[in-house]
Amino acid sequence: MAPMTLFSVADAIAAALLGLLGRLLPAGAAHAVTAPDVVLGLATVVFAAILLAASMLNTILLIWYERKLLGRFMDRRGAMHVGFAGLLQNFADGLKLFRKDTVRPREADSLGFWASPTAYMITSLLIFGVLPISTGWNDGSLPLTLLLALVIFSFAPLFIFLGAWASNNKYSLIGGMRSAAQMIAYEVPILLAVVAVVVLSGSFDLTTIVNEQRNYWFWAPLFLALIVFVAGMLAEMERIPFDLPEAEAELVEGWNTEYGGMLFAFFMLADYLRALVGSILVVLLFLGGWTWPSYVPSALTSFPLAGIVWFMVKTYLVFGLFVWVRAALPRVRTDQLLRLGWMRMVPLALLSIVLAAVVVAARCLPVLGCIPSIGG
Amino acid sequence: MWINMGPQHPMTHGLWNLRVRVEGEVIRDVEPEMGFLHRGIEKISENRHYNEVITLMDRCCYVAGMSWEQLFIQASEQALKVTPPARAEYLRVLSAELQRIASHLMWYAAFVQDLGLMTPFLYGMRDRDLVLDLFQSYTGARMTYEYMRVGGVRNDAPHGFTDQCRKVLDWLLARFVEYDQLCLGSTIFRKRCDDLGVLKAPEAVAYGVTGPMLRSAGVRRDLRKDRPYSVYDQVEFDVPVTDTADVTGRYLVRMEEMRQSVRICRQCLDWLDRNPGPVLADHLPRWLGAPYAPVGREAYLLKRNYPTGLGFSMVEEPHGEAGAYVVNDGGEHPYRVKFRSPVLINIWAAKRYLPGYRIADIPPIMGSVDVCVGECDR
Repeated sequence: MAPMTLFSVADAIAAALLGLLGRLLPAGAAHAVTAPDVVLGLATVVFAAILLAASMLNTILLIWYERKLLGRFMDRRGAMHVGFAGLLQNFADGLKLFRKDTVRPREADSLGFWASPTAYMITSLLIFGVLPISTGWNDGSLPLTLLLALVIFSFAPLFIFLGAWASNNKYSLIGGMRSAAQMIAYEVPILLAVVAVVVLSGSFDLTTIVNEQRNYWFWAPLFLALIVFVAGMLAEMERIPFDLPEAEAELVEGWNTEYGGMLFAFFMLADYLRALVGSILVVLLFLGGWTWPSYVPSALTSFPLAGIVWFMVKTYLVFGLFVWVRAALPRVRTDQLLRLGWMRMVPLALLSIVLAAVVVAARCLPVLGCIPSIGG
Repeated sequence: MWINMGPQHPMTHGLWNLRVRVEGEVIRDVEPEMGFLHRGIEKISENRHYNEVITLMDRCCYVAGMSWEQLFIQASEQALKVTPPARAEYLRVLSAELQRIASHLMWYAAFVQDLGLMTPFLYGMRDRDLVLDLFQSYTGARMTYEYMRVGGVRNDAPHGFTDQCRKVLDWLLARFVEYDQLCLGSTIFRKRCDDLGVLKAPEAVAYGVTGPMLRSAGVRRDLRKDRPYSVYDQVEFDVPVTDTADVTGRYLVRMEEMRQSVRICRQCLDWLDRNPGPVLADHLPRWLGAPYAPVGREAYLLKRNYPTGLGFSMVEEPHGEAGAYVVNDGGEHPYRVKFRSPVLINIWAAKRYLPGYRIADIPPIMGSVDVCVGECDR
């Protein structure tokens, strides 16, 4: 029996649907609709729909989680009244934004103004196509998923700058420039930190990277790279302390000042999608993905869907860390941010590559890792 | 490139416009535009009873209503030649110092919010609410108190107030430590605020800048010490001073001022516990307590019988030195009222302390000025 993957599930759903359709149709047409190519096509659509639903649901849950957690940090309760513990508050907010008129300033460039949030949203969603959430999420036929994910991730400054420029607003323009400068500056240390992971795991495939962490997670030998990666991700996500592109105190709302209604919701959702991707990447690269060390009782790790459950728990814990940072730190200034990026992060990331190489060369991984491997 | 920061902008904390000329992110020139909130309070005061002007004072500076009530009442009492009883004076000082704490907490909340610190913002607002609860317990209102009267205060503090107040003060002192940990303990905070918005002592004096901004430049000037009014010469406190003249200095001065205010409040509470007595002077002219304007013969008689006079008072308001000038021509209304707003002058010195820094520095610098547009535009 082939291992069950998300795509095989989608394939089964598509085949069942088409089979049902085929029974209702005359024989010739039935043969046409159940052809393998048609099934494959529908399976792709079903796959995408499942992924879209899962990622959007998670994003909305993430916003709720941040609101509640931030509320507790601030000695208040967060959303309380809509739904149980405010779970439906975000849906209400989304509905409100959906019903709102979308106003485009007269002097704004139409194409850029509309295209930028759409493209930002699409690229943010696209990353989920390559992220494995547990074993069997995809079949490992893409050997460069990590690289692909980071490439799609780094499209964002382009669209942000496009939207900011198209808005024809001074605050937007300054915010857009800051955003572009910041994201490009922090791409470099992020990629270098990822190189350290690649050196240690020997693969660009996220599934392989996670499987390499079956015995010890990479956070211990690559602690430096983890710090660089998390700081870089904070800058990429534009969250406090690196949220200066949309520093509301001086730039009103930064690059999305002119966006309202559903377009604002697009930016907002895409921001949280990217925050989710950032947390997922931290879990995949440094915290062992869906795996647990072998000394953890197997009852905890082998129930149905255990991989997904533990993966999401870790992801939410990592995001909780981001929320904590947001609750505790003030915002840095542009020049300080860029100096930090180029002068501190890049050397640290380079150092972590050297460390990874040393670790690989010395073969002392079980000692450095939190858990020595027992019986492979 | 000129950027309009305002009139509606998160940085302004009110309604004013800061026009900024920037090159890239660096500020080259600034041009504050005030007057969006002008309500003609000085002119309206001429058509109101002295005690009715108090209502306007609360709305004049909506975060430091008590201080402005005290300011106007002192000038009016001087003009009307009325002396309040001692207990009223202590209640006024207590109110003014509680107000200073509340105002500084409000400043703290707004200032850290400008830096992107959201948690201390809510901590500041939470603790300010405790002080507002105290105000509510003895004035009935949380912001617009209408508490002071010519010749004293409206009513005495209720039973058990002093104990409750002491509890709140103890709580606040513990919280101030937390505030410092959240701000001074953060490297990013120090990197953002050190050597920022520097306004050295000679320039500060030349511009007429007062209050914590002046004291952060090393000038030990505090009207409560230098020109003691009310019973400030009866209480012990220190005037905090730093010589860095930057945003961090202003932060330190204000935090220490809150601690000193707690000290003053405690002394006032002790005195109030020991000395019961009246809170409103006897033999006040009848119309000072009247809610309506006397007309006809009564007004004529009052005008003839009551002495004329001038009143001038200055108080150390949370934002700086406020002044009031009241002319009494013997009528039931003041003939002329004029105020000196500290914030207006502190804002105008922005031409001196903003250029050279970056756009991102504007919110913390202006936040450290503690802008209250209500008193600024009056």
